[in-house]
Amino acid sequence: MKPVSRRHFIHTGALALAGSLLPGTLAFSAADHASAKTQADISGSIFKHTAPDQPWKWSRPADFAVPYSDKTLMCGICPHNCLLDKGDRGICRSRVNIDGILYTLAYGNACSVNIDPIEKKPLFHFKPASRAFSIAAAGCNFRCLNCQNWQISQVTPEATRFYELFPDQVVAAAVDKNAVAIAYTYSEAVTWFEYMIDTARRARKKNIANLWISNGYINPKPLSQLCTVLDAANINLKSFDDAIYKRLNGGRMAPVLDTFKTLHAKNIHFEMTTLVVPEYVDNPKMISHMCRWIIDHLGPDHPLHFLRFFPQYKLDRLPPTPVSLLTQFRQIAMDCGIRYVYVGNVPGHEGNHTWCHGCGKLLIERKGYFMAQNNINGDLCKFCGTRIPGVWG
Amino acid sequence: MKKPTRPGIDRRIRDVVIATGIGSVITQLLTIREFLCLLNGNELVIALILFNWLFIGALGTLLARPFGRRPSVRKLWAASIALIILAPVQLMSIRRMYELVFLSGSSVGFYPTLIYTFITTAPYALFIGFVLPYSLVVIRTRIPQYSGTRIYIFDNLGDVCGGALFSFVLIYFATPFQALAAGHLPLVAALFCLYRTAYPDTAWPVPVAGTLVALMTLAGAMILEMPSLAPRTGSLAFYQETPFGRLRVVQDREQTTLFQNGRPVFYSQSPGAAETTVHYPLAQIPDPDQILLISADRQMMQEALEHGVDGIDYVEIDPALTRVEHRFGLLFDHPAITEIHQDGRHYLRHTKKSYDAIILNLPEPDTFQINRFFTKEFFALAKARLTNDGVLSFSVKGYDSYISDRELEKVSVLYGTARSVFDHVLMIPGNRLFFVCAGVTLNPDIPVLLAKKSISTDYISGYYYGEIPFEKINDLKNQVQELLPCGTVNTDFSPHLVRILLDEWFSVFEASPAILVILLAAINILYLCYISKEEFVLYTTGGFTMGAEILVIFAFQIFFGYIYLQIGLIVTVFLAGLLPGALIVQHVKKLAKPVLIAGEIFLTGLMILFFIGITRFPEHLTSTSFLVFGFFVSLVCGAQFPAALYLSGSGKPAVIRLFSADLMGAALGTLVTSVFLIPYVGILWTVAVLVAMKLTSLMVLGWIR
Repeated sequence: MKPVSRRHFIHTGALALAGSLLPGTLAFSAADHASAKTQADISGSIFKHTAPDQPWKWSRPADFAVPYSDKTLMCGICPHNCLLDKGDRGICRSRVNIDGILYTLAYGNACSVNIDPIEKKPLFHFKPASRAFSIAAAGCNFRCLNCQNWQISQVTPEATRFYELFPDQVVAAAVDKNAVAIAYTYSEAVTWFEYMIDTARRARKKNIANLWISNGYINPKPLSQLCTVLDAANINLKSFDDAIYKRLNGGRMAPVLDTFKTLHAKNIHFEMTTLVVPEYVDNPKMISHMCRWIIDHLGPDHPLHFLRFFPQYKLDRLPPTPVSLLTQFRQIAMDCGIRYVYVGNVPGHEGNHTWCHGCGKLLIERKGYFMAQNNINGDLCKFCGTRIPGVWG
Repeated sequence: MKKPTRPGIDRRIRDVVIATGIGSVITQLLTIREFLCLLNGNELVIALILFNWLFIGALGTLLARPFGRRPSVRKLWAASIALIILAPVQLMSIRRMYELVFLSGSSVGFYPTLIYTFITTAPYALFIGFVLPYSLVVIRTRIPQYSGTRIYIFDNLGDVCGGALFSFVLIYFATPFQALAAGHLPLVAALFCLYRTAYPDTAWPVPVAGTLVALMTLAGAMILEMPSLAPRTGSLAFYQETPFGRLRVVQDREQTTLFQNGRPVFYSQSPGAAETTVHYPLAQIPDPDQILLISADRQMMQEALEHGVDGIDYVEIDPALTRVEHRFGLLFDHPAITEIHQDGRHYLRHTKKSYDAIILNLPEPDTFQINRFFTKEFFALAKARLTNDGVLSFSVKGYDSYISDRELEKVSVLYGTARSVFDHVLMIPGNRLFFVCAGVTLNPDIPVLLAKKSISTDYISGYYYGEIPFEKINDLKNQVQELLPCGTVNTDFSPHLVRILLDEWFSVFEASPAILVILLAAINILYLCYISKEEFVLYTTGGFTMGAEILVIFAFQIFFGYIYLQIGLIVTVFLAGLLPGALIVQHVKKLAKPVLIAGEIFLTGLMILFFIGITRFPEHLTSTSFLVFGFFVSLVCGAQFPAALYLSGSGKPAVIRLFSADLMGAALGTLVTSVFLIPYVGILWTVAVLVAMKLTSLMVLGWIR
């Protein structure tokens, strides 16, 4: 047996040591930084060859189809701008190319129909204590890992049980239920735009308000068209970081910010909602930037809601948001100059109520969805006469 | 090069094989526990881990053939040192790579789980599969007539020792990396001795360096253990491994969150959850006196005390969990509260007390363990412990605005099961869907009932009517009743809920197991085309044994509940019979074929007896009877290996192929029994399939000359 030389021993020993310790150490340290650096985009892709052969009863040719080539159409409803060959289905699952025509498969087939308190949307500055006839059809252009309504947002319209409710029937049902508004909500109404806008036009004629509850991921043209019939909106501002938008929601932030600017420019009442997700949307600096952007571009009057996160859907291994973090974010937003900042999903929090930005007194005390007291006269503070932004009548 | 020869080297290799068995079983058990803390803890995930382990092990076994052409002790030594190093690297990789591959805080679906478990366990499992037959190959370079059966016996001896060491000692006193170090120390020592025995003329540095590297890796992993558990936000306030899983407390600002096996189970600010869990059932009872809470926290206790109850019995199986709850203010002492550390079902079976309310606060019934609390048998047991006007309440994941078909199926099975025992069942939808069951009429107007009792609430009084209008309650009831004629009832032996929740899990992640099923079928058909009849017998015996083990684990928890503590015992018993079985047959080799045939008949008979026992005479079964069954199954399995080896010629290729067949069969048996057979066809048909499998191999045996 050849004896082992000192050099051989040192080489072998060092290599073995490095070989043994490196993988573990690398695994450890790489993972430490990885999640911050990973720029995963969960928006997914279009669904090839999954469109039905024929349109069904609840289809109609979709708006904003742009011919792209002989075989291909571009769906121009949202910033995904899906390129669809014949037989393909868009990212939202509800818009398809059948024989060279772009169809929506979600027209008149509402899978979810409820009468909700308007505060549930949440809309705190629009006809408080009223009820909204709320509908949804299947489809969404986002893939939020914490989706509350994944059963309808992440499936095709064909895969849901639904009510046959064409626009006239929706409006009739809303009238029948004495609803002051129709809310297009739960899933993403942008993906069933034609159904929403046709219903909204009919609702207008009956003096029923139209409420759009959305992620705001829509192209400028359809948004402009929608604004002609819209009375109020609650738009999610899911974070203020494009990377987080891609990783948690499967979208981009810039088009959403454009939506806010358009709604503001067109003078439509809207409120903003940010779900404070631990580990992702919990950075005070980010919230501070967000609030400054709001002040700079939208002004101080649009209410902002910070919602507490609870483990949900695929994001079920995170703890809920600490309440003090929501309180801190509310304070940051108010310090930036936003006048009406609310805290949601925390019963009893002072951020549930509306406080006058003029005199600081309690205007609306809320107990859940109920209004315990209302100190707004017309649109003025009963105590100091300050005009309170919103639609109160 | 001079070939070193020295008497006693076979004994040194024997020691290495035994020590490898100890280390590998401990690594396997720790790997399963680690995955359960990261991934969805349903049976499918456990089966996937075991399947990967056994399947890759089988591939590793096959590698011993090409690599066995120029065998040497040095290569065996190096491979074993690599095995020691790989064990902590594997565990650390599983824990830390998750956030590299997936989003922190998120669950992952079926195929990511399959790929992640496969990749992270592949290196170790491949090596472990390789080392055992390679040990035999090395021994035979010195002792050509050395029996493959002996290696099999020594490996099993190591496995039994490792299983016992982990289940009865390490699980109570050691963290995962401490257990890993303790489990591999015998191998470190055995390898040092092997090298010194095999190469006495060489200098000390090589074995010393190898030993040092192995020990430093094990020690380094222990040092990194706590930092590797740190959360991304907040700080780790507490960590403990208990026989029931991993407990972590994360402090983020004022909020304390208790994680059990990676999931947040209790947190300090959850009034909505506490109010709905407690007040929905207690509002129905005008003056509750005694209540039983199966799993709860401080806020639930406080809400319950609002009803003026005299006694709250709080059942929690893991005493460590209640200790942590106390330490972090998630539980409090009160004269009315009695803590009982038992399995909830076991407690109900034996208590003589009657309760006005039994409230379950449990996770989804997506495992056999939790499913036991959602069966007709459990509901009947609960009813027997309720007063005349008493209520049982439980909940599952709910929905917001739309209930999917699968969720509706789940709800309708639960409703039908509850209605088969209780006259009245009230369903209250919401983020969680509550079932309140009683023999008397129930009122869905919870706020009014609470107002009558002058109990004020934050969540229910403000949100109940807005979130849960009566139309929603009625709509759900109507939809469920449309499905009721299907009449599926969830029972102990037909756990339909597990199957439905498995389907739901697939649907959440938009996956289908079809690709895996097709792949597995193709691999197995291909494999079956190339194996001998003896291999086929061992293949089916491997599948049968693992199937039987899962059946025993499943039945054991139905009857006795104490599965967490006994699982180590069951696994050990299923290994313990292998050794005497092999030893007996080693001395009657000429009767190899009759032994194989008798084994097949015996296994078939045992399975039929098992079925008769659990279905016809359940009241006479003791925990020992399950263990005796397991021991005899493994005894036959152990006896068949040397018999098959003798019939196959006992050569090196035969040993390797038989090892592979056993592992392949075991891999498939694990997956098919736990994921497809029990949830989809129930116990009866699972037993029938296992019996049919053995009868098939009996017929095949008839053709062996």
